[in-house]
Amino acid sequence: MILNFQGKKALVLGGSCDLALTLAAAMTAAGIFPLLTFRSEEGREKIDARLSPLGGKYDAAYLNFGDRDSLASLLSRWGGEIDFVVDFAQGDFEGYIAAADEGRVYQYFNDNVSFRAELLKKIARIMLKRGKGRFVFISSVAAGRANPGQGFYAAAKLAAEALYRNLGLELGRKGITAVTLRPGYIRAGRGEAYLEAHGEEALRLVPTGRFLTEGEVAETILFLLSESAAGFNATELTMDGGLTAGK
Amino acid sequence: MDVLEEITIILAEILDMEGLEITPETYLIRELGAESIDLLELSVAINSRFNIEVNDDELFLRTLRIHLRAAEMEGRDAAGYLAEKYPVLTVSRVGEILADMGGGPVLRMKDIISYITCYGKN
Repeated sequence: MILNFQGKKALVLGGSCDLALTLAAAMTAAGIFPLLTFRSEEGREKIDARLSPLGGKYDAAYLNFGDRDSLASLLSRWGGEIDFVVDFAQGDFEGYIAAADEGRVYQYFNDNVSFRAELLKKIARIMLKRGKGRFVFISSVAAGRANPGQGFYAAAKLAAEALYRNLGLELGRKGITAVTLRPGYIRAGRGEAYLEAHGEEALRLVPTGRFLTEGEVAETILFLLSESAAGFNATELTMDGGLTAGK
Repeated sequence: MDVLEEITIILAEILDMEGLEITPETYLIRELGAESIDLLELSVAINSRFNIEVNDDELFLRTLRIHLRAAEMEGRDAAGYLAEKYPVLTVSRVGEILADMGGGPVLRMKDIISYITCYGKN
């Protein structure tokens, strides 16, 4: 297996979430320099608290999906150096379709789909100059399995998956590939609170009888960034212990 | 090295065609067979080499037919409308393009050169 990452730089979008921080720690151990984005001071503090004890082998910068100036500033700072992109960024929006505020709907898709398309265009063009690059988009099993109240979340995830899929389709022969990972229940981030409340019920639905750990998802992402995984392009992989295989 | 020579070298690499002979009149798509992905690479290379924020639609005249339809809808003169939309093109080039559209994609090397000459910073 080819897991040689020395000297590589990874842009980690949504870099202050628990899973991104676990991944960033694994990256530094593997020789990747993570560049993490945050959208609030709280996010920045979370990143520093978790990663600064590891010897400062990371950097962090402000990026707010929907704020185009923050993207321009990010790219002027890091633009020429990105080998990998791992995208965890996703705004919260729960609610029934028939109950949603229209203004929020437009804003949500602007931030989570249109802005992401601009970001992908700009980073892909930087990667094209270098003739290589790898994208891993972190989606969710909720993208493929409808749940009441998660329609907007799923629609944004599916739209983003489609953008990544096309990126890999269009630029694969230029050395730029993309893959989506759909994790199931993880005891971290948004999933934590849900599993606190519905843990037993959720566990009955998972054939492996356990939830995913942050560590194993982070390791899977590292594998997906490796040369050995380059064949996974323009596709979606489900990692859910079998949750969505049954009915 | 002039712009034509530089673009010729870049295109030869993108299209993997050694000893490529190009003049300002050469058609990129009709003659050289450049595909969308090749034009994307050309745009990235122009951005990098000439420090230009490239608008692909304008550089590669992609929206010609959309503009022509819009001109018709608005009852405007096609040549005048195109000249407004593509400030890089001369009046005579716009006339040439309008006369040439039946033959396929009209993009020629001289259109790329005009774009670079107009927007290039060095």
